Amino acid sequence: MTVSIYIASTLRTYVRESRAELTSSAATVQEALDQLKREHASLYRSVCDETGAVRRHVHLFVNDDFIHDRAGLETQLAPGDVLAIMPAVSGG
Amino acid sequence: MAERVILCIGTKKGLFVAEAAKGRRRFEMRGPFGSGVEVYAALIDRRGSPRIYASSCNAFFGMKILRSNDLGRKFKETKSAPAFPENDGRAVANIWSLETGKTKKELWCGVEPAALFRSNDYGNTWEMILGISNHDHARQWHPGNGGLCMHTILRDGNRVHLGISTGGHYLSEDGGQTFAAANEGIGAGFVPDPYPEFGQCVHKIAGHPDVPGRLYMQNHGGWEERPGIGVLRSDDHGHTWYSIAKGLPSDFGFPIIVHPHDPDTVFVMPLDPMTRTCPDAAPAVWRSENGGSSWKRLAKGFPRKETFFTVLRDGMDIDDLKKPALYFGTTTGQLWMGRDGGEEWTCLFDALPPINCVKVAVV
Repeated sequence: MTVSIYIASTLRTYVRESRAELTSSAATVQEALDQLKREHASLYRSVCDETGAVRRHVHLFVNDDFIHDRAGLETQLAPGDVLAIMPAVSGG
Repeated sequence: MAERVILCIGTKKGLFVAEAAKGRRRFEMRGPFGSGVEVYAALIDRRGSPRIYASSCNAFFGMKILRSNDLGRKFKETKSAPAFPENDGRAVANIWSLETGKTKKELWCGVEPAALFRSNDYGNTWEMILGISNHDHARQWHPGNGGLCMHTILRDGNRVHLGISTGGHYLSEDGGQTFAAANEGIGAGFVPDPYPEFGQCVHKIAGHPDVPGRLYMQNHGGWEERPGIGVLRSDDHGHTWYSIAKGLPSDFGFPIIVHPHDPDTVFVMPLDPMTRTCPDAAPAVWRSENGGSSWKRLAKGFPRKETFFTVLRDGMDIDDLKKPALYFGTTTGQLWMGRDGGEEWTCLFDALPPINCVKVAVV
């Protein structure tokens, strides 16, 4: 099965060829992050801190749902899903 | 190529680099680099081919180190930035200090929460220095208003002095393998014990290579019931400290700077402890030419009233030309230069973002 990982433009500098989309066979959001850690270390470091926590100003969505409205990092991914990595709205 | 004066200005919105000929008549500005991201630390490394480093403290995507090999025309992120080991439980929240190490490739870096890292490859990879980062005291330090930051790294052969807010002064005499608290005489106004073993809110420490045993410190002063603990001096490599605050209008402040050609000449900017702006809203740098025994007010060129800025701990520096100039950046985005050791002040830039740090070098 394949899911897409959408990379917001401000983070594409950390992906080879500044790609906007990666593919993954992860079954959960956490598995997708683990894959990023292995295959795209600079991108992963920009999304998660060294404790593994998703950075405060980064939001993850599965399709249109904020992951905290589903099962957080354990949210299941199904074929065709899009996991979007977005900067949070912060400030005024 | 003729020598140039290079200024690195770390701001809330990125790093600016200003450059002038030795006469310092006109500075040309470039930047911001790391646009939109706070810069708390910069380093102009003059060893060999000059390099500029800056922290880029990205609230969204974490800490980065920027490096320029062409005197600040272009910057690139190094391959990695300091980070705690995965199972440590801490995460780097800010990068507060960058200093040169023993070799051209070696850099040292102080972070928040207070810990020390070293790179042996121009900042591409980093290792945590356990002797201080995992010190028995480390989990007992507390953040001050600026966070729990390691803001000062002073190296003198095998001695390494560290300033931590709020942790105090720590000294290594074995090249950074082990560290001990060295705070005798450094007071604290915010805990019952006026002279604790550690936990002081040290703001900045400065020294001079010709007299390595002597150090100057701007500590967190401004305490009515514990006067004079804010501006200190040590004559024994930082083992003991004593007050040199007499004659200053306030012993609260952030930066402290030593003259590059005279270890007896030291500069501070006293601030009102409540507003953290200059007393009577009239900016002034104060200079001692006798190691802190007496002080002179330097204010020619500054507004005489209604000026409310703060100069932060790394916001002041001095060049090493024959007649050195001081430079400081303000939280209101002004960059000032004081010719002849601060005798006459000029505002170089008037509307930058709030300034966190200023570093200068002649290259």
